[in-house]
Amino acid sequence: MFDLSSNVLVAVYLIPTLVGFLIVSPLGNSVTSSLADRFPSLKTARGRLLSGLQLISLAGFAVSTQTLWISSKISEGGSFCSSTSTFSCDDLLGNSKLNVDPVFGLSWGLIGMATFALLLFIVFVLKQEPNHPLSERFINIGVLTTGIGLLVIGLLVSYEIQEEKICLYCTTAHIANIAAFVGFFRLRRLHEKRDEWNKS
Amino acid sequence: MNINIVEDENAGTVGSALIKVMSLFFIGIMIIAFTANPISVGTNEGQRAPDIEGKFYNGSGWTEFDFSSYFNTSWQEGDVSGQWVAIEFMDTDCPYCQQSADEYGQYANAFSVNNADWNGPHVNFLASATELSIQGHDSDRAEIEQFRSEYNHNFPYIDDIDQDNMEEWGIPGTPNYFLIQPDGIIAWSSSEHADEKISDAILRLVPRESV
Repeated sequence: MFDLSSNVLVAVYLIPTLVGFLIVSPLGNSVTSSLADRFPSLKTARGRLLSGLQLISLAGFAVSTQTLWISSKISEGGSFCSSTSTFSCDDLLGNSKLNVDPVFGLSWGLIGMATFALLLFIVFVLKQEPNHPLSERFINIGVLTTGIGLLVIGLLVSYEIQEEKICLYCTTAHIANIAAFVGFFRLRRLHEKRDEWNKS
Repeated sequence: MNINIVEDENAGTVGSALIKVMSLFFIGIMIIAFTANPISVGTNEGQRAPDIEGKFYNGSGWTEFDFSSYFNTSWQEGDVSGQWVAIEFMDTDCPYCQQSADEYGQYANAFSVNNADWNGPHVNFLASATELSIQGHDSDRAEIEQFRSEYNHNFPYIDDIDQDNMEEWGIPGTPNYFLIQPDGIIAWSSSEHADEKISDAILRLVPRESV
């Protein structure tokens, strides 16, 4: 049976992720134009990208925390989103072989938390000091981290195909990583154009 | 004396961002720590038993096995009402499994609520039948059915011919026995108590009304 409550809860994470994705996408300018008066940071391309990335990273961090929590609850013997349908995150998050990375045995949820915390750190620094001496390096770290994340997503999706189950919480974290990759990639291109970057 | 003071105008930016992110990270970890009590999944005593998947034979046909249906996570230690699980990983062609099959069947009857002499909770006996990668150990479901019938076993036999469950449980050889508490935690494993039979483990670990 489709577990409505647990799967609907995903929307709490998915909606801000998608909104953030929209803001960092090329459509971001037109989407946020009506909000620019209320949120002045949305007036510039840099401000939009950093705001979108902040939203994405926060949502990604929160959903990663939720997946780690679900894994922990399942290990206690409980269930969270167990279902006979394809949408059963318990079958993936509760699988002791698949819910940890194959090298160090760290929970994917914990890795997600650390990754999105790193992205948040970069966003906070760039928001506060856009011309920080390490800004270029930070942006490159963001691109690299989310780029590696794309490979991890490939591995985790292969697990979903193998188990014939879809974990909506994991998928939301994957979307957040893809959105963050797009955001940091566009941020790097903007950073190369110093005039655009320094517009305020 | 000259003192060179190195000033970094941007240090505060990195520091405050780091504090914000670290705080958020630890809040997340603390929420998990206070609301969950994770138990690792594994086959050592004290760990949660991994899942067992596949079709099982109960004498009438092969149907999907649901291992989780045997457990009640709210069970408390000492509670005599919870049902325990004894599982044997075996191969129908393994001589040691054949030797112990009669005994295992007797235990299944002895530690049952149907036995008036047993004053403890019901112990569900299971067998996970695999096909060891040894010459002459070819197996199939018909052989499993025949083995079960030959030894008059009345408990479920799970088809693990593909060795999936055996690999998941890290079983080095057959027979291998586990006694699992009603909450799904492994209470005893034959690999950790080579000198103790599963029947003795049941008598030692399973709570009984008069004990």
